Amino acid sequence: MTDTSMSAATETPQAVLVIERTYRARVQELWDLWTTKSGFESWWGPRGFRVEVRALEARVGGALEYDMIADAPDAIAAMKRIGQPVSHFTHGRFAEFEPLERLTPVHMIDFISGVEPYDHTIEVDFHASGDSARMVVTVHPHSDPHWTKMAVEGFQSQLTKLDARFGGPGR
Amino acid sequence: MQLNPFETLADPTRRRIVEALRGGERQVGEIVDQAGIHQSGVSRHLRILHESGFVSVRPDGQRRLYALRPGPFREIDAWLAGYRQLWEARLDRFGAALEKRRRDRGARKKEPRK
Repeated sequence: MTDTSMSAATETPQAVLVIERTYRARVQELWDLWTTKSGFESWWGPRGFRVEVRALEARVGGALEYDMIADAPDAIAAMKRIGQPVSHFTHGRFAEFEPLERLTPVHMIDFISGVEPYDHTIEVDFHASGDSARMVVTVHPHSDPHWTKMAVEGFQSQLTKLDARFGGPGR
Repeated sequence: MQLNPFETLADPTRRRIVEALRGGERQVGEIVDQAGIHQSGVSRHLRILHESGFVSVRPDGQRRLYALRPGPFREIDAWLAGYRQLWEARLDRFGAALEKRRRDRGARKKEPRK
């Protein structure tokens, strides 16, 4: 963020969500999970969903296209509850692609009826630190908070159940 | 039109008014001074903040005092907590996938060559 003239306190509350994780791994291993078909498919999406990548072009402006498929009973029920199909084609691009340093996937959110399509941006920064790698994920808000809120609520019960099953979220 | 809490605070002028009110009750004139916005703008945005439940107003003699109300902020907080939880869960999966790859690679290395 370059504009710091407004203090953090006056920034929109929903402006960004920043999550930071450190893994005992090399940056290359983290990078591969974002930028290869098998890597991306191995983790992307909320619990209860899987993705099937149609195109992942590892370059600036490269396409990122996949089907997001609800495949756990709870997830299927959650999607039906909020009136969404259990599978949808999702497409986006890598707005920034600086190998092992920075990645900016931008998703086109064009599957919500009654809402004009909009871009949803995620920024990912990678830092090597000794034998660990730090990853900072900055998630920009959906421009339609109402839909996002419904989605969150839809997944909430499902997450709670899964967390209970696996003994809470790991780190 | 009733705005949701995010739409209400999406406006930078309204955020500056909210900032000005963080120190406690203020009259319009004080908000104008603190936020550096013209009075007509402050009045209009205060009305929107009031209608959205962010700001209360009470008379005090000739003055009208404005203050923040916690409700909508709690709503935003709860929403963000839910959104954060989604992303925390997603990165838990990322970590698990990373571990699995490492284990698989380790297992492949240990396999005796035929």
